Amino acid sequence: MTVHSQGAVTSAPQDAPPKSAGLPETPAPATGTGPTPPRGGGKPLPTGWLPYLLVAPAVLALATLLLYPLIKNVILSLQDINKVEFIQRKYPFAGLANYTELLGDSTFWTVVVRSFAFTLANVALIMALGSLIGILLNKLGKKMRLVLSMALVMAWAMPIVASVQVFHWLFDEQFGVMNWVMRTAGFSGYEQHNWMETGLSTMVIITILVVWGSIPFVALNMYAGLTTVGAELYEAARMDGANGWQTFWKIVFPNLKPFFLITTFLEVIWVFKAFTQVYAMNKGGPDRASEILPVFAYVEGQSQAHYGLAAAISVLTIVILVVVMSFYFRLILKQEEEQ
Amino acid sequence: MKRKLIAAVGVAGMMVGVAACGNGDDDKAKADAGPKEITVWVMDGSAPKAWIDEVNKEFSAKHPGVTVKVEEQKWTGIQEKVTTALSENNPPDVLELGNTQTAGYAVTGGLADLTKDRAALGADAWQKSMLASAEVDGKLYSAPWYAANRVVVYDKKAFAKAGVTPPTTRDEWIAGLEKLKAADPATQPIYLPGQSWYVLAGLIWDEGGDLAVKDGSKWKGGLGTPQAGAAMEFYKKLQSYSTAPKDKDEANPQQSTDIVPKGGVASWIGLGWEAGGAEKALKEAGKEADFGYFPIPGKTADKTSTVFLGGSNLAVAERSKNKELAKEWLALAAGKDQMTKYAAETKGALLPNQAAANFTPAAGSFAEAMGKAGVNGKITPVTAGWANVETEPNPIKEFMTKVLKGEDAAKAGAEADAEIAKRINK
Amino acid sequence: MSTTTAPEPAAPQRPAQQLRTRRPLRPGAVAKNLGALLLALVFVFPVYWMFSSALKPADQMLTKDPVFVFTPTMDNFGKATGVENFWTYVTNSVLVTVGAVLLALLVALAASFAIARMRFRGRKGLVLTVMMAQMAPWEVMVIAMYMIARDAEMLNSLPLLTAIYFVMILPFTIWTLRGFIAAVPVTLEEAAQIDGCTRGQAFRKVIFPLLAPGLMSTSLFGFITAWNEFAMVLILNKDKTAQTLPLWLTEFMSAFGNDWGATMAASSLFALPVLLIFIFLQRKAVGGMTSGAVKG
Repeated sequence: MTVHSQGAVTSAPQDAPPKSAGLPETPAPATGTGPTPPRGGGKPLPTGWLPYLLVAPAVLALATLLLYPLIKNVILSLQDINKVEFIQRKYPFAGLANYTELLGDSTFWTVVVRSFAFTLANVALIMALGSLIGILLNKLGKKMRLVLSMALVMAWAMPIVASVQVFHWLFDEQFGVMNWVMRTAGFSGYEQHNWMETGLSTMVIITILVVWGSIPFVALNMYAGLTTVGAELYEAARMDGANGWQTFWKIVFPNLKPFFLITTFLEVIWVFKAFTQVYAMNKGGPDRASEILPVFAYVEGQSQAHYGLAAAISVLTIVILVVVMSFYFRLILKQEEEQ
Repeated sequence: MKRKLIAAVGVAGMMVGVAACGNGDDDKAKADAGPKEITVWVMDGSAPKAWIDEVNKEFSAKHPGVTVKVEEQKWTGIQEKVTTALSENNPPDVLELGNTQTAGYAVTGGLADLTKDRAALGADAWQKSMLASAEVDGKLYSAPWYAANRVVVYDKKAFAKAGVTPPTTRDEWIAGLEKLKAADPATQPIYLPGQSWYVLAGLIWDEGGDLAVKDGSKWKGGLGTPQAGAAMEFYKKLQSYSTAPKDKDEANPQQSTDIVPKGGVASWIGLGWEAGGAEKALKEAGKEADFGYFPIPGKTADKTSTVFLGGSNLAVAERSKNKELAKEWLALAAGKDQMTKYAAETKGALLPNQAAANFTPAAGSFAEAMGKAGVNGKITPVTAGWANVETEPNPIKEFMTKVLKGEDAAKAGAEADAEIAKRINK
Repeated sequence: MSTTTAPEPAAPQRPAQQLRTRRPLRPGAVAKNLGALLLALVFVFPVYWMFSSALKPADQMLTKDPVFVFTPTMDNFGKATGVENFWTYVTNSVLVTVGAVLLALLVALAASFAIARMRFRGRKGLVLTVMMAQMAPWEVMVIAMYMIARDAEMLNSLPLLTAIYFVMILPFTIWTLRGFIAAVPVTLEEAAQIDGCTRGQAFRKVIFPLLAPGLMSTSLFGFITAWNEFAMVLILNKDKTAQTLPLWLTEFMSAFGNDWGATMAASSLFALPVLLIFIFLQRKAVGGMTSGAVKG
């Protein structure tokens, strides 16, 4: 799950069941069926050993390759491991020293604040622009919709490692096309503009990259979701004299609420731990001013060889994420109980 | 129905795929069996292929059935890689380490103690100045391999056109750069990126300062000092003649192969392998290199600038499974015969570990200028913690970029010193 | 996935926009289409620029003002693929990625069926676990993983890498497939059982075919995650014969520095399989589900 929202599902089924996300011309003229009971409507299905057998491989895999490393990580965070200890493979116990060092370090808090700001800005932009483009897709004619959705699929499919290189090239100081674009548009000072001059400007470029790569997921799913909102609902709203804004809040939003919940959830996770984009863009620089939590952990752990400290950072990162996301977990659990 | 069928066939295909794939993976696993092999890590640009092939040939002749695998490593990210490698059960047997980084690894216990092998390695013949970085507390952890220092490489045509001759003082140097600028505005008089910190180190030493000094039992950074400020001021002046990025070092973009061959550079500061690389790249582009070389000028004509004596050592990993073979390879490669060939192969641009192997440089060659400048050579503080300072993000580089962008040198220096102190005393 | 409401009856009779397409052009419509065109350009430009730079001759590459018209050359691709071990990287990447995706589909199919259709103790806990597992920040766990692999003598191992990627994509695969399975009406399954199918047959004959789009779209995600991964392989596999394409691509930058032509050619080669798979699977993965469910 290293990535931004590339390559995820074309459409989550309940959110946007039947319709095509990217290629709207696919015929889906399903003749009406009665509302089908979604699930759980049937009688309770047999229990016994079968379900345990079915989930066993998954549980086993998660336990050995996820839970075990996580536990190991927590143990590391309680040890004092630097280059010497790491090479000698002797790991002295350090208690909570790594944690107290971190919590008392202003750099750590700067990084935490930056991570939140980065996540907030990115997710807000992705959700707002993605939804708008989804709505636009829904309003376009066939041909134009195909053009736009193909462009979106292209951006969506770009592997991150490749797209980071491309953005490097686009924003290159000497020969980048963006400097040319700015010059052509009549701005001065773009002869040799360094786009990654400061931490903030680096973050802006990274944001453009992340938003560019993530919008397609939201837009295409939004469009798929919109097609499930029956035309008669729009008609009804129109007859009631609702304007576009009201239609959105009264008809579209309630119908697509699950879509917004799930997509926001995924985007928050993906952006918060967007390591590759940030690290590969400028290694967290200049002067460590574009480090977000995962990058901070990597620089401290790998480059500075403070392995114990880095483990503590990663544990705190996980804790922060879980706390922030607990709202969603509660929603999910509630849903489970209802069934 | 058709749709179902297609899906079913597709899935059947997947199942077969799973099985086939599982087998494929297993086959890959048994890579390290077979006859004996030792692995040698050398850095990018250190070992000419013809030379190392010959060393290995001689080695294999002495040890039938043993093959040598040479793996070339990039300088970027090398510390992380060496650290993890030294902790593994199958580390590279022999590895090249930068002379500023050797002490840092020696204290971790990851390098084999070679003190008892001094005689076998021929340690008596080694240059004393180079031996210093290979030892810690009187114990030997590596064999010095080569040393090198930077000189100014210039385009003879551009200098002739502007009527500039190689300077011998800083003032002459700046005056020359002025002339070059006036003669051809499209050419940068000197290519000097903002983070060429080895160059800055030399300037600081010229002022009588240092990157870090021992203060009682602890070390402290020296960038906040007036000496470092004066050095940085001169660096800034030099850098103003360059359009090179202020937040990059000389390796990124690689000045020798990415920048110089494209033209428009009248001079630059580089090492021997860089000058060679630039020549080769120019030839590939159908152009002819016409380089001249001079030592970085000092404040007065009687003394050239102090320069950083770079170089590398060869060490054996403590966890190597073939320590004895590794030591023998080391003795061979760092021995007089092979070092003589090495010096000849690099045309003297890399100084061999013993005087007897020295190559007499041709007049006007890089090696000649390097030899003159090397008299005033110096190395970074010899302490285990120094290697931590050099790891990215390197505080010296950040300091340079800040000052070049207009920040106060004393203030930026104090910040960098705090970071240096934190790292060096670990 | 189950924060969602009941699936809509699958009957968007006539999507709203179709009513509008035949109207005469209005300024609003022109603005709409222009905007869409502009957006399409913005999204496609980096991809276009990558391919175009890859095909550009070296002397037209590093210019102050970009060259848009040129005679394409394959030189850059030659340079990119001429790297030592290139084909080993390709083979490794394909093996590891395909292996991880197939393994994940298989294991996730079983697990998600149980979660969506059966009742058992610990089900809720499992759902929560799967959700939490989604958030695992793998990049910051590389050291822990490295130390485990090192102590187990499993460095430079492709099977281990495959297994790690498999677990990376497993939670999302379970989560998504579970949604797809849940969306298949239970009545369909019951009908099959009434017709005399066993539970297993009902699954194979009824549910499975309806899952094809779900399987494809989840494998898209898995593919791209595994294909992209580099923090883990960077530290685990130092042996060049056990490395993958992302390392080749990132090392390219330092090896070739400012040779943007070669770097873009390498990026293009790296992106091409994913682009093709997306375009191909996108076509296949969509639209199938309901029409399948309803028409049989």
